[in-house]
Amino acid sequence: MVISPVHYIALPLLAAFLMPLLAKVNRELVRIIPGVVLTYLLFVSVVLMQRVTETGQPIIETLAGWQAPWGINLVFSQFTGFLVSLMVFMATLIWIFSYRFKKVDNEPALKYYILFMMLVTGSVGVVLTGDIFNMFVFMEITAIASYSLTSFYRDRDGAEAGFKYLLIGSLASTFMLLAILLLYTQVGTLNMAMIAERMHTVPVGMKVTILILFLTGLGIEAEMFPLNGWAPDAYSQAPSPVGATFAALVVKAGVYSLIRVIFTLFDIQGAYQYLIIMGIITLIIAEFAAMKQTNLKRMLAYSSIGQMGFVLIAFGIGTKEAVFGALFLMFNHAIIKSLLFMSGSFFVYNSTSKDIKGLSGIGKKFPYMGFLFSIGAFAIVGLPPFSGFWSKLYILIAAADESMLALVAIILLVSIVEIVYYFRVVAKLYFGKPTDKEVVHKPTFGGYFSMTVLAVVILLVGFYPDIITGFIHRAADTLLDKGAYISNVLSVGH
Amino acid sequence: MKRAFILLLLVVVGWVLADTFSQINFGESRMGDIKQQETVGAYYLNNTVEKLSVANVVTAIVVNYRGFDTLGEVTVLFLAASGLASILYRRKKRGEHDVMILKNSSQLLQTGAKLIFPAILVLGAYVFIHGHLTPGGGFQGGAIIASGFLLMFMAYKDYHVSHNVLTWVESVAGILFVSVGIWGLISGATFLENVLGTGTLNDLISGGVIPLIYIAVGFKVAAELTGVLETLLNFKTEK
Repeated sequence: MVISPVHYIALPLLAAFLMPLLAKVNRELVRIIPGVVLTYLLFVSVVLMQRVTETGQPIIETLAGWQAPWGINLVFSQFTGFLVSLMVFMATLIWIFSYRFKKVDNEPALKYYILFMMLVTGSVGVVLTGDIFNMFVFMEITAIASYSLTSFYRDRDGAEAGFKYLLIGSLASTFMLLAILLLYTQVGTLNMAMIAERMHTVPVGMKVTILILFLTGLGIEAEMFPLNGWAPDAYSQAPSPVGATFAALVVKAGVYSLIRVIFTLFDIQGAYQYLIIMGIITLIIAEFAAMKQTNLKRMLAYSSIGQMGFVLIAFGIGTKEAVFGALFLMFNHAIIKSLLFMSGSFFVYNSTSKDIKGLSGIGKKFPYMGFLFSIGAFAIVGLPPFSGFWSKLYILIAAADESMLALVAIILLVSIVEIVYYFRVVAKLYFGKPTDKEVVHKPTFGGYFSMTVLAVVILLVGFYPDIITGFIHRAADTLLDKGAYISNVLSVGH
Repeated sequence: MKRAFILLLLVVVGWVLADTFSQINFGESRMGDIKQQETVGAYYLNNTVEKLSVANVVTAIVVNYRGFDTLGEVTVLFLAASGLASILYRRKKRGEHDVMILKNSSQLLQTGAKLIFPAILVLGAYVFIHGHLTPGGGFQGGAIIASGFLLMFMAYKDYHVSHNVLTWVESVAGILFVSVGIWGLISGATFLENVLGTGTLNDLISGGVIPLIYIAVGFKVAAELTGVLETLLNFKTEK
C-alpha cells in the first residue's frame, strides 16, 4: 500500500469505528489509539511533503476510480499539504496534552477521543478535498464534533454555548448547501477545478448571490464579524484541549475554505476589498472586546477572532507577499494560541475563579508555566525575538508596498490594544499579590512536554524563520497559481 | 424599531434569494441535452448501466461515484449519535430510580406492534439489500428498521435493546465500509474503487461492492438510530 493522502481520512475513520469495540477489551486503548493514528499521520505528512517538494507537483488522488469531474478527488499540493501537516502536528501535540487530562478523564473518555479524532479528520478533510460538496460533508463532520465537544462538561454554561454554536452552525450549513445547489445548477459540476474553469459562464448577479451565500456560510466557521457570536462562548466552555483545537485546526479549516472559494472558485474583483473591510472590522471589534474581558479564556477567544481578522486582511491585500504573511500568521496563530490556551487552562484550573483577577501572582507559584504563557503573550503581540514578529512584519511590509498606509496605521494602533491586554495578564501573573492557596493540580508530563515543544518552536522560528519560510513561500505561490491548480486537477488520467 | 429593521432585512434577503431561484428552471425537462455530457449528471445517466451494471443510478452515484461523501455522511450520523450519548450521559446517583412510565399502552397497539414489527424489519432489509436495483438504499432501509424499533419502544414500556449489541453492529458495519475502501487501496486501485466484477444488470448479486456497502450502511444506520432512540428514551446509559 503506497502512502497517499487518503490515509488522512481512512485511518482515523477506521480507528473511530474500532474504538467502541476496543474499549471493551481495555479502557486504556481508547486513549492510546488516537495518538498512534496521529503519529502515523505525522509520518505520512513528512513523506508526502517530501514528495511534493521534490517533484514540485501536487499529488492528486482520485477516489472510487473515477477521474476528476465524475468522482471526488483529494489534492495534496504545497499549499494544502502545508496546512494539513500543520494541523496534524498540532493535533498530535494536543493529544499528548490531553492524555490523562484530569477533567476529561472524569468523563466518558471513549466519546471524547472519538469526537476529538473526528474533529481533526474533518478539518484535515476540508483542506484536502478537491470537491465542493465533499468539503461541505467534512465541514459537517467538524461542526457536529465541535458542538458535542463544546458542551462536553454538561454544565449550564456549556450547554448554552453548545446550543448557540449548534444554531449558528446549522444556519451556516444551510447557507453553504444553498450556495452549492445554486452553483451546481449553473455549472453542472461539483469539482472545484472544473467550477473555476466554467465560472466565467455564470451571470454576474447569480455569481454575487452565490458568493454571498458562501461567505455567510463559511464566515461563521472562519469567525468573521458579525458571524462570530458563537466563538467566545464555545472557546471558553469547551475543555481546554478542545479550545486549543478550535484555534489550531477548526478556524484554520474555516479560513482555508473561505480563501479557496474566493481565490480559486470565483473571479470577482470586489471580493478582495470585501475581505479587507470585513477583516478590519473583525480585528478592531474583537481586540477592543478582548480588552474588556475579565475571563481569561474569553479574552483568548476574542484575541483569536482578532487574529483571524488580521489573516483576512492579509489575504485581502492579495499580493504574493501578503498571502505569504497571511499563511505565516496562520502558522503562528496555531502554535502560539495553542500554547496560550494550554498554559492558561492550568492557571484557570488552579485559581479560585475563571477571572484574570484570580490569577494574581500565580506566575510565582508556577514559574515554568508563567514563563511559557509569557512567551506566548510576547509572541502573539509580535515582539521581535519570537515568531509572531515575522508574520506581522511581512504583512505590514506587504500593506506598505501596496501603499495602503491607512491599513498600516490601523494594524499598528490595534497592536497597542493587543499589547495592553496581554501585558496586563502577564503583569498580574508576576507582580500581583499571590493568594495563599496551595498548589492543587500540577500539569501532567504530557502537558509539560507539548507546551515545551510549542515554546521551542516559537523561539526557533523567531530566531531562524528560514526553516519555515521556504514551505510558506511555496504554499503561497501554489495558492495564487489558479491556472496550475485547474490544469493539474483536470489533467489527471486524461 | 429593531423589529422593523429585522423585518426589512429578512424581506431584502428573501427577495434576493427568490429572484435568484426564479432564474433556475426547476422541473424543466433536461433530458433533451442528455447526450451533451456538459454536466456530471448527464455522464452518470449515460454511463452507469453500461459501466457498473446498476439499475438504480442514484445508488450508483451515492455509493460509487460519490462514495467518499457517503462515508462522510455515515460518519456524521455516527458522530451525532456519539455526541448525543456523551451529552446525555449521566452517572446514576445512589438510590436513584429510573424514570418509569407507569401506564401500559393499549392492547391494540401492543398486539399490532408485535404483528407488524417483523414485517417492518423484513421491509427494511429488503430496501437496503435491493438498494442497487430498486428505489431506496442503506439510509432508507436503516431508517425503516429503526422505525420498527420505535414502534416497539412505544408499545412496550420495558422493551430494551442491548447497548452492547448495538455497539457491535454499529462498529462492525462501519469497519466493513472502511475496509471495502481500503481493500481497493490494497489491491492497487484507488480508495473505495469497485474491485469486484459488476455482474449482469438487474441480478441481485451485481454491481460489485455497491450492495456490500449499502448493506453495511443499512445495518449502521439502523443501529445508530435505534441507539439514539434508546438514549433519548432511557435517560441513563452504560457505565
